[in-house]
Amino acid sequence: MSAKDIGGVAPAAWLALSGLVVVVAVPFAAIVLQAIFPELGAGSFARPFSLLSQTLGDVRLLRMTGNTVLLGLCVVIASALLAIPLGVARALYRIPLAPVWDVLLLVPFMIPPYIATLGWIMTLQPRGYMEQLFGFNLTPVLFSLFGMTLVMTFNTFPVVYFAVSRTVEAIGLRYSDVGRVFGATPARAFWRITLPLSAPGLAASLLLVFAAAIEEYGTPAALGRRAGFEVLVTGIDTRVGDWPIDLPGAATLSLVLVIMSLAAFLLQRWILTRRSYQTVGGKPQNAEKRELGRLTIPVMLMFGIVAFLSTGVPMLAILGTALSGTISGGLAFDNLTLRHFADVFGNSAGALGALTNSLTLGLATAVLTGLIGVVAAYVVVKTRIRGRALIDIMTVLPNALPGIVVAVGLILAWNMPGLPFTPYNTGFILLLAYCCILLPQTARYATAAFLQIGDNLEAAARVAGASGAVAFRRILLPLVFPSLASAMLLVFALASRELVASIVVAPVGMQTISTFIWRQFEQGSVGLGMAMAFVTIILTTLLPLLFLMLLRRGGLVRE
Amino acid sequence: MLKSIKGLVFGAASTLLLAGVAHADITVYTAGPQSLIDKLAEGFTAQSGIKVNVFQATTGKIMARIEAEAANPAVDVLISASWETATDFAKRGWLVSYTSPNAEKVPDFLKNETAVAQGVSALGIAWNTKSGTPKPAEWSDLAKPEFKDLVNIPDPAQSGSSFELTAALAGQDDFALFKSLKDNGAIIAGANAEALNPVLQGAKGAVFGAVDYITFGNKAKGESIDVVFPESGTVIAPRPVMILNWSKNQDEAKKFVDYMLSDEGQKLVAGTYLMPARSDIPADRPLISDLKLIDYDAAAIQGKRKEILQQISDIFGAN
Repeated sequence: MSAKDIGGVAPAAWLALSGLVVVVAVPFAAIVLQAIFPELGAGSFARPFSLLSQTLGDVRLLRMTGNTVLLGLCVVIASALLAIPLGVARALYRIPLAPVWDVLLLVPFMIPPYIATLGWIMTLQPRGYMEQLFGFNLTPVLFSLFGMTLVMTFNTFPVVYFAVSRTVEAIGLRYSDVGRVFGATPARAFWRITLPLSAPGLAASLLLVFAAAIEEYGTPAALGRRAGFEVLVTGIDTRVGDWPIDLPGAATLSLVLVIMSLAAFLLQRWILTRRSYQTVGGKPQNAEKRELGRLTIPVMLMFGIVAFLSTGVPMLAILGTALSGTISGGLAFDNLTLRHFADVFGNSAGALGALTNSLTLGLATAVLTGLIGVVAAYVVVKTRIRGRALIDIMTVLPNALPGIVVAVGLILAWNMPGLPFTPYNTGFILLLAYCCILLPQTARYATAAFLQIGDNLEAAARVAGASGAVAFRRILLPLVFPSLASAMLLVFALASRELVASIVVAPVGMQTISTFIWRQFEQGSVGLGMAMAFVTIILTTLLPLLFLMLLRRGGLVRE
Repeated sequence: MLKSIKGLVFGAASTLLLAGVAHADITVYTAGPQSLIDKLAEGFTAQSGIKVNVFQATTGKIMARIEAEAANPAVDVLISASWETATDFAKRGWLVSYTSPNAEKVPDFLKNETAVAQGVSALGIAWNTKSGTPKPAEWSDLAKPEFKDLVNIPDPAQSGSSFELTAALAGQDDFALFKSLKDNGAIIAGANAEALNPVLQGAKGAVFGAVDYITFGNKAKGESIDVVFPESGTVIAPRPVMILNWSKNQDEAKKFVDYMLSDEGQKLVAGTYLMPARSDIPADRPLISDLKLIDYDAAAIQGKRKEILQQISDIFGAN
């Protein structure tokens, strides 16, 4: 018996669908319409398709598209190379100081990419922090495809690390032990059993990395332009930021990005639908972990080096700049000051208001995307409702929409004359923007988690007399909650530092953390901007950890 | 658990709602410094009781917002960092004709029927005094061996003021100066802030064509940086103030323009190291009368914008 066609499913589907329509379909439709009707902004449907061929016929489009794919693949490969060994080691072995490494490897994800890039530039450029300390610089490495890949990988590999360590941990050693019993070597058991079984989590996280890499603006803008490496997002930004504004062109380029992301998504789906990945078929087993033994030193070195490069270097650069009275004063004792931090906490330029706004928005975004994401994933994986493929696609669409395009789409959609209610020019428009941009995070993780849960659990509950809703709440939700909770915490961190959409769509008079930092950089107050960035990174790392601890104490998440 | 989630959602929702409720009498979009608009808004509200709601971003981002909003526009007063937008908006018929009584002391070339400058910045060489390079006096000094690989040029495609300077200088010698800069290892480096930052740290020695007021501000904070205005001439970037014709609060908007051009308003402008638009307001920095300006036909240059950007990108490769 399957739990597919029993009552309780339809309301869930409707909830997911209406959430998705408001959050994803509305702005996306506006973008498609804008690509077709160039004068949509002025409320006119004149001259349809007139600019489409002009944009698509641009010779640079092919180069930008090629560069975008290349960069995305480089970051995916580098992230996998960096994260899979670490994640597998963390899942299967008893690693000394494991929770500390987890926190250290979580931090890079909390560092806004544009800040990390600036930190790397200030460290590696001539007379940068590295030259001030050690007498040499690494500029040529930085402004190249290699440098971009490195900086972006350090930023995104935690996604893969946490996905791999959690899924491999959930699979545990039971299955590979069975393989060992039948004579497989440890390596063979790993390659043939453990790794393939963790494919859902791995594929989902790599897809997110690819999408994040092709959608990222800060690093390609700061490093790529100098290397002559133009990607679609920088091309879109030029069209939106350079007078005369070319909104239809930007919308068209965005659709190219969306198609790329969808292709990656379909590939991931194809990998996942070829077989079953259900490893959770009964009550949870106690995960036995092995001792590292002779591997202790190399593995610790590996963790140490990656943590230093991904967390240590950018954080030290940020702190160093925040503590410097002047940039030109460099790392000197008489240049040391707490002034910039005093300014942040003294609410200079509205710093505290920006913090409150962003943290509130981050929280609201995490809750909303969590709700929509888990319901949508449930409908897609565990029901046979018609149209669930559409729901699946809607949860992945925003993956490839650059922040700026979501912002423009939201303005186009919600600023039409004659709407009885509009979130435009209130904080809700930011909430909508963040939910749209970040929904794929929760939806992808929840989908991967549902894929690993056997249908028999839900069926057993139904046989024992539970209603569909009760079975969902008491059986399925607790099983996916660890994945969902970590996805929601990532959403919280990402939302509280989102930059590009915030700049365009922020209601008049409202600052967020990222627009605050960006303004300080624009007006030449790098120190104040970096102090704010440091405070933000610490807050967005500590708050989720505190929250997780509370959940654990409450028994909602297993250790 | 569910209850606490509900509580969180409602809590967050009410906070956001309250943020939106604060009703503004006029809405100002500005590409100028946030600190300046904050002080102007505060001073104006204290004087008139009219509230000012502000959206601050770069000129490009503001234009994207106005373009997307075109069906239902919200902005009353626009302060751009590029005079070109004032010309373009006037051509589209989007602007209200208004001459403020306080604009009397604003020189003629900084005002017309539909726009008036709030302040003016000039472009200069931002030079790191501790970089070990000789103090440059001329644009061409940056093409000398002492500045080999040490010069940043703000991207003329991203910065309106950088475009003006590039076009004006290129027009004098048919891009010869830019070719020699390129041969000397100068690079095009992002928008204004991105070009200046490496010079502050000392990775580069100078910015060719930096917006002056940000550099003066950094100097005042103690950075080892100075601005040089070449004798051969430079260009200025007036920051036009416009009232949009869809504004439902045109009287209040006019009062705000008056306030910006009042003694008090212009002193606030001078406080950010911009040149005040009114010639009778002193400032702690060189004024327009102290600078030699390159004589060029701004309108003709804008017409050739694409072509000039293409030439520059051909010379400097990369972009």
